[in-house]
Amino acid sequence: MFLMISRTFREALKSLFRNGWLSVATVSILILSLYVVSVLYVVTHTTDKILKDIQNKITVSVYFKPDVAEADILAAKSDLEKNGQIASADYVSRDQALADFKRENADEPVILQSLDELGDNPLLASLVIKANNSDQYQAVSDYIKQTSYKDEISRINYDKGNIKDVISRLNSIDATTRRIGLVLSLILVVISILITFNTIMITIYAQRREIEIMRLVGASNTFIRLPFVFEGIIYGVIAALVSMLILFITLKFLTPYVSSVVSPKDTVDFYTSHFFQIFGLQLLIGIILGIISSLVAMRRYLKI
Amino acid sequence: MKTEESETQAQYERPMSDAQGTAHGTNFLIRFDRVTKTYKDSSVALQGIDLSIADGEFISIVGPSGAGKSTLMKLIYAEEMPTEGEVWFNGRAISEISRGKLPLHRRYIGTVFQDSKLLNRKTVFENVAYALEVLGVPSEEIEEDVPQILEIVGMGHMMEKFPEQLSGGEKQKVAMARALIHKPIVIIADEPTGNLDPVSSLEIVDLLLKINELGTTVVLASHDKDIVNKAQKRVLVMDQGKIINDYSKGKYKLI
Repeated sequence: MFLMISRTFREALKSLFRNGWLSVATVSILILSLYVVSVLYVVTHTTDKILKDIQNKITVSVYFKPDVAEADILAAKSDLEKNGQIASADYVSRDQALADFKRENADEPVILQSLDELGDNPLLASLVIKANNSDQYQAVSDYIKQTSYKDEISRINYDKGNIKDVISRLNSIDATTRRIGLVLSLILVVISILITFNTIMITIYAQRREIEIMRLVGASNTFIRLPFVFEGIIYGVIAALVSMLILFITLKFLTPYVSSVVSPKDTVDFYTSHFFQIFGLQLLIGIILGIISSLVAMRRYLKI
Repeated sequence: MKTEESETQAQYERPMSDAQGTAHGTNFLIRFDRVTKTYKDSSVALQGIDLSIADGEFISIVGPSGAGKSTLMKLIYAEEMPTEGEVWFNGRAISEISRGKLPLHRRYIGTVFQDSKLLNRKTVFENVAYALEVLGVPSEEIEEDVPQILEIVGMGHMMEKFPEQLSGGEKQKVAMARALIHKPIVIIADEPTGNLDPVSSLEIVDLLLKINELGTTVVLASHDKDIVNKAQKRVLVMDQGKIINDYSKGKYKLI
């Protein structure tokens, strides 16, 4: 058994070098498709992560009329916290809102000055609500509008339209990137299957004499097939290794250019933390491709 | 996987013409039982062939091209299957051998063809060794057996040569060595002298006769009357897929 594997493996290596140019072409195509598939994988994951981050930052503020007592607002807060769709509801008093506002605009003297001239605190007390999921804000907003304290509320900033739009847009971007990534990956995988299949078929054709002799002296079918299967596996492994390297280089040196959208640390971190996941996936795709195409080609073009 | 393992084991049991040959109460190694072979394009290659070849026999099959000689031989080494009838080999119906076991069946048979089918990138030694390598024979055994068999066919001094450095007759001798290296019980030679000059042809026939004397059954197809008459053995005359004559001693002067 060991003898058989070592001998067939050697045959595979030999054929790999003998078919030099053909092997390079096949491996390149495999690298390209594995690479693009992994880039898509990384991109979908990072967009996903970015979108999640943004979604986490989304809050909806419920502003209360200036004459509502703090106790009433706290009562509303505890009512909201009982709602299953709401993750948290933080109370921001009028004073705190003013302090926050001043801090945020510390380097805008004009704004601060006009605030001083106003004399009175123009800001409202509010509850900052965070939903469990970004698509639940509509429901939360609707809920608030039919509570007993709805008359104490000045406005809910969700209704202003902006946030509503942003949230629904984020949700659809998320779904679209996933779908496009999946479709592109599938197309590429199909293309590489066809090309690998084609190459291995040509290799088999180039070695039909050897195969004929093997058959005539009674080599087992496994012995005849194994070199081609190994060849496919070797293609897969080389392609996975190289595309992994190229992927790393891309992420390391290219993401800084799109840092306005994606933080480079994020993607490289993703690469390192998911190294084995991505590499394993590539290996798997590469090896399965190699095996399937060699088996199918053998069955079709040889009588074994 | 299991069947493959048993194959690997079985290849160490060198084929022998043992009790199996007489399992059906006959001494025949190969028996054709009303065999008809029709190819896909519905051309008839063989028609109702009845033929028995005894163990240790030397049989020459003659006839013009298209007479069905090659098809008859292909049925023996299971390259083709009969459309009708049955071919028995060593007491066993070939059609009953499963696909996966066909390689085992072929190990009982050595084949030589008009084109020697040598691998041009391998030396003489490597060409013969290759036949053992693919059978999973240990390397030490290969080192030992290959020079021995090359010596027998008279190519011992050319082990490191490549096929393109050899003459047609020498190539056929190497092909013969390769056919013999796994100690088959039958040698099937399909026009082995087709490309050779008369002298080389006679050398090849001598070699076949020598192999036959050592106990191996030989089935030789040829349309060269000189080499058939030289053999002085059983001659089967075929034409258009049928056996026309079956002489017990070679006196083939027709066609």
